[in-house]
Amino acid sequence: MYYIPTLIGLTVMVFAILHAGGPYKLIAPYINPRLSGPARQEQIQMLIQKFHLNQPIYVQYFYWLWALLHGNLGYTTTPIFSGPATEALAIFFPNTAVLAIFAGVLMWIIGIPLGTWSAVRKDKPDDVAIRVFSYTLYGMPIYLLAVVLIIIFAVYLKLLPISGVVNPELTVGLSWYVNGISYPTHVLIIDAIIHGDWKLALNAFEHLILPAFTLALAAMAGVINILRASMIEVLDQDYVRFARSKGLPEGVVTKKHARPTAMFPVYTNFAYTVAGMLSGVVVVESVFDYPGIGYWLTQSMLGNDMGGIMAGTLIFGLIFVTTSLALDILFAIKDPRIRLG
Amino acid sequence: MSKEESIVKIRDLRLSYYTRRGVYHALNGVDLDIMRGEVLGVAGESGCGKSTLGLTIMGLLPRNAAIENGEVMVDGFDVVRPLREYFRRSKGKFKPTKNDDVLKKLHKAMMNIRGVKVSMVFQEPMTTLNPVMPVGYQIAEVLLQHNVSLLAKRRLARAKATREDMKAILGYLRGNDMASMMDYIKSRRLEGIEDQVMAYWRRRDLHDLVKEIRILSLCCDAVNPMLRPGLSYAARTNRLPSAPVLRQLVRHELVKEGYRKAAEYLGLLGMPEPEKVVKMYPHELSGGMRQRVVIATAMINNPELVILDEPTSALDVTIQAQILDLLKDLKQETKAAYMFISHDLSLLYQVSDRIAIMYAGKVVEVGPKDSVFKEPKHPYTQMLLEAVPTLEPHELKGIRGEVPDLRNPPKGCMFHPRCPFAMPICREKEPPTVDVGSGHKVACWLYAGGGEKK
Repeated sequence: MYYIPTLIGLTVMVFAILHAGGPYKLIAPYINPRLSGPARQEQIQMLIQKFHLNQPIYVQYFYWLWALLHGNLGYTTTPIFSGPATEALAIFFPNTAVLAIFAGVLMWIIGIPLGTWSAVRKDKPDDVAIRVFSYTLYGMPIYLLAVVLIIIFAVYLKLLPISGVVNPELTVGLSWYVNGISYPTHVLIIDAIIHGDWKLALNAFEHLILPAFTLALAAMAGVINILRASMIEVLDQDYVRFARSKGLPEGVVTKKHARPTAMFPVYTNFAYTVAGMLSGVVVVESVFDYPGIGYWLTQSMLGNDMGGIMAGTLIFGLIFVTTSLALDILFAIKDPRIRLG
Repeated sequence: MSKEESIVKIRDLRLSYYTRRGVYHALNGVDLDIMRGEVLGVAGESGCGKSTLGLTIMGLLPRNAAIENGEVMVDGFDVVRPLREYFRRSKGKFKPTKNDDVLKKLHKAMMNIRGVKVSMVFQEPMTTLNPVMPVGYQIAEVLLQHNVSLLAKRRLARAKATREDMKAILGYLRGNDMASMMDYIKSRRLEGIEDQVMAYWRRRDLHDLVKEIRILSLCCDAVNPMLRPGLSYAARTNRLPSAPVLRQLVRHELVKEGYRKAAEYLGLLGMPEPEKVVKMYPHELSGGMRQRVVIATAMINNPELVILDEPTSALDVTIQAQILDLLKDLKQETKAAYMFISHDLSLLYQVSDRIAIMYAGKVVEVGPKDSVFKEPKHPYTQMLLEAVPTLEPHELKGIRGEVPDLRNPPKGCMFHPRCPFAMPICREKEPPTVDVGSGHKVACWLYAGGGEKK
């Protein structure tokens, strides 16, 4: 039950930093630029009153918390969306979720076989190649990785689109796609499939591949390295030798006997992998112009948009905390040694 | 060939470990035979190559182990041939990674030997079992890999048997008429039921009434008709059917059967409440129970040779005694040969038929246990036996000096720096192995006439 304190600590910290710049920065986006003189001052005073900015900061925090408990996350004004922050979350979160899940699946189905292979073929040329690959990814900032992938696959090979979610020509005149927001789920691929527009769905999928791969590759390096290290350790264990002494095929020995225990460090580290992916999402969505939480949060931060920043922070914190909880449950399922009762 | 007297024949085996700190000559010309059905005790100080010898027979060597010479014939199959050939090919440029490739191929070639003809019990029951698998599955796995037909037959027989069949079988059992029981089972085509019947009949911890009820309830356990062809295919060919979904279903059914067989076998090994134990994980069992599980895994396919690498060293004395009793019982019931590796001489004297004494990677003395213990020939054996504490007070003598550094072992006889009888020739030439009568062999110049030549 340390999840609630974690979230409170996180929001308190962001709230304090956000308010460190004084009230005028926070209300700047709401001031009518055509007003001047006393009218302008009056509006400023009114906004300060309205957002309780004249109160001590802890009182302001409780106002925010009170509103949050009533399902009100405040307002957000960014170039890509203006309105209630809850509505912004409803629009942007599904897109990020699709991107992150796709990236997570890619990371899992590529990273785990590579890590296993690398450990089984320890010190041989293919292992060295995998290690060079994973350490290169490890050392590369994610925006650089994104640009490298764009240059290779979009600019030179021309296989995939550079950025965006869809080719705008395909969306002309669609009733369910207005101002870059699709209905009803707000995820273009799913909506296109719902409306039976397979061509559009395929196009949207092509736009998803590069961002997902960028995110997956950045997160994969950790999985490969950790799995390789723990797998090498486990392969030297007595019970692996005992499994071999039973005359089982090598594939069964590595996959069924060695890997389940070697995966525990990977699961432990998975919370950090998710944290890395969340910060990756912010960068990747900005680079690829992908309308998700990360892109929205970047825009909010550029515009000192209090509602957007707080809502984005809260949702990221919530994802991280939920992942940790899910990991605890996963451990209880996978490791009989920590099962209770 | 399989009617040969020895199950394992080791000739001039030389093995080295290539490490960063140098080349350790772990085995230096081992000659040893293990006869069918005997218990061979292998004794020696730590680091003399006992465990390495056991692992070599299993082909479970680490990647940096180089076979420099010699052969290890396990029932006619030369285990070390690929490794030896690789070492010859490498011409002094031995690479552990390349050796690893050879070992992987060896694993594949030995799949039908390990767990079927030869199996091994390791020293530490705490770490030998996989912590995240139920122990029953770990036992059943061996059957599932090598003996699918037995499992399928057992399942089909239970589906086919009627209550009348079981009553008839119980009648034969009560009359102790095994031959007629087998005839009856054959005539009713219930092969596979005898395995289960006997497992209950021979249990000691159950009351006779419980046994009979359990035997009677072995009938009328219907099989899903969709699985029946798959099961009979498995019973006929000892292989799982290859059709994808059917394969999984049949496998699932046979895993359940494997748990049953595992529980029966553990019951025979004196495990209390085996039906519950098979569903437990290793951390829920005590050391002695785990070692029983390991022994069950090693023995369930009735191998011809079981290598026991210090099976009782990690256990406390009472459990040690129980495990030894168990092994003695198993020895009487099965026809398997045992290679019992230990540094506990009194324990070896209890269990073995023959004893081999190793020193610095060489078998220095081997022979029937009485002749080795009563009339030790090699100076090392003599000194080793003097160092064993006994109930009668006698002066304990240590062996002076220490085990040679195996990176540059002494020339000639390995033992000469510590030997009180060392002669000039001992420093120059390796002693040959001579037979001093009734299969008692010694590798020492004292008996090879080394003194007279010079």
